[in-house]
Amino acid sequence: MVDVALKILLHDKLRFIITVSGVAFAVTLVLVQVGLFLGLLDNASITIEKCNADLWVTSRNTANVDYGQPFPASYLQRVRSVPGVERADNLIIWFTRLNLPSGATELVITYGLEDFTRWNLPWAASGGNIQDLRRGNFVFFDQSARKRYGQFKAGDYREFLGRRMKIIGETKEVLSFTTTPIAFMDFHVLQSLDPLNLFDRTVYILVKLAPGADAGQVQAEIRRRLPYNDVHSRSTWARLSRNYWLETTGLGLSMFVTVFLGCLVGVVVVAQALYTSTMEHFKEFAMVKAMGGGNPDVYYILVKQAVIAALVGFAIGAALAAAARPAVTGLGLKMIVPGWFFLVVFAGTILMCLAASMVSYRRIAKAEPALVFRG
Amino acid sequence: MNATLPEPVLRAEGVCKDFRDGRETISVLKGISLTLTPGEAVVLEGPSGSGKTTLLSILGCILTATSGEVFITGQRVGAAKPGRLAALRRDCIGFVFQQFNLFGALTAQENVEYAINLKGASGSRARKEAAKWIDLVGLAERRHFLPQDLSGGQKQRVAIARALAGPSRIILADEPTANLDFHTGRIVLELFRQLAKEHQRALLIVTHDPRVRPITDRTLFLKDGILTDATSEST
Repeated sequence: MVDVALKILLHDKLRFIITVSGVAFAVTLVLVQVGLFLGLLDNASITIEKCNADLWVTSRNTANVDYGQPFPASYLQRVRSVPGVERADNLIIWFTRLNLPSGATELVITYGLEDFTRWNLPWAASGGNIQDLRRGNFVFFDQSARKRYGQFKAGDYREFLGRRMKIIGETKEVLSFTTTPIAFMDFHVLQSLDPLNLFDRTVYILVKLAPGADAGQVQAEIRRRLPYNDVHSRSTWARLSRNYWLETTGLGLSMFVTVFLGCLVGVVVVAQALYTSTMEHFKEFAMVKAMGGGNPDVYYILVKQAVIAALVGFAIGAALAAAARPAVTGLGLKMIVPGWFFLVVFAGTILMCLAASMVSYRRIAKAEPALVFRG
Repeated sequence: MNATLPEPVLRAEGVCKDFRDGRETISVLKGISLTLTPGEAVVLEGPSGSGKTTLLSILGCILTATSGEVFITGQRVGAAKPGRLAALRRDCIGFVFQQFNLFGALTAQENVEYAINLKGASGSRARKEAAKWIDLVGLAERRHFLPQDLSGGQKQRVAIARALAGPSRIILADEPTANLDFHTGRIVLELFRQLAKEHQRALLIVTHDPRVRPITDRTLFLKDGILTDATSEST
């Protein structure tokens, strides 16, 4: 069968390039924007996702993992005594101030825990042993902190709320949605840095369930024993943390608008190109009907053109998005495009192009075969 | 004697066509009757506005008659639905136009092959038949040329090959030589006539071109919606 759709599409190469560029632009925009969005959201809950804790005990109505409020550290004993709890530890996540060698002051989110390795925090460390944090005024910085604090290396000192702390290692990709860099230090050292707020207090209690323990039951029992705290499963706490940023920043709406505009541009470009092409070939479509073809024969040509534009445009758009990844990473941003989202964008691209060709379908349906007699 | 007469492939009986213009009804065709037999070539002449193209459209199942009957290979057209008309066009009728109406993005051979595809054949069978017709119209060397790279005469040969290819037993041509110079027009007409006769296709040519009469079997003249046989005038 002669591939009329492809032949017509490729006959005017410039128009084909414009059509495909429109699709590719929309695909790249959606993939990069949503990838950045998912990367940011990932930062909002990555600590929760990577940490081994099955349950998180928080102060009442804590909105997200970065904004916890202190409560008595002794509550830990009540949690440890609950049947089904294999292990529980206090964790402080707290904003402190850091004095830089330049004299400037910056905020830092500091994680304080007695035994980090037991909770898989941090999950990627280099340059030193995380267990050494227990030995005193030592700190691990995340690599991403260089962007905010300038260069540093193991052996350097930085001042936390007036106390000199020695950098003994680095972590990788431990990020916060707030973009404030993250540091790790011993639980008691962190408590002593800010005694006004943290003396004898903690911000979270991490809970590891015993094998076979019923999470729901343990959760209910902890709630009974700590009536002024909240207890969340890992997935709920991660979702709450992400939702906080989605709702308070309007990021979700902004993302929706961007995706909508991307799709709109794609639809307009493809619709305009296909419609112009259809009008130019209008008499040829009438000829198809005069030769005994019907609307389905003509629709088939249009549908195929729309699908070809979608396939080529998607391939180019996806390639451009993949090429943008290193540049995005270089800017200290994270771009996450899961496989399922690729499939969604692929299906969306096909639908977008088919929707764009609807204008042409309506016009073509009215093409009279008698048109072929007109000069 | 009747047994020797070929069965007509096209028969029109008392065909009338009216168009409404506001409250006024204009009768374009007034009781047209004609027949076409396989291998026969008929020329239809008449002044502009006499209804030639309307008649061609009705015989070609593009328009339907207001009254009267049209039979295509024995099948009554009547007030058939668009789908049935399209099927009749596909299976029985080939068209040749003044403007060629070729697909600009397809090569000469692909133009013919696509017409064959629409008639139901595909793959190598369609390709071979298209190649055969392109050879028969003398365009073997230019089978892979796009219409934009062909002369007017060559384009019309492609259009003729496209009309003759497949099972179509009736070929309707609307001013096929109007866009061709004298010499090319004559060559194209002779080729058209010869191929139609060889392949037993009934040919109806609507034209003003006086070169057409000598190559046809009969001449019909349409004026004010009334058809007369003008064969004797041309002989």
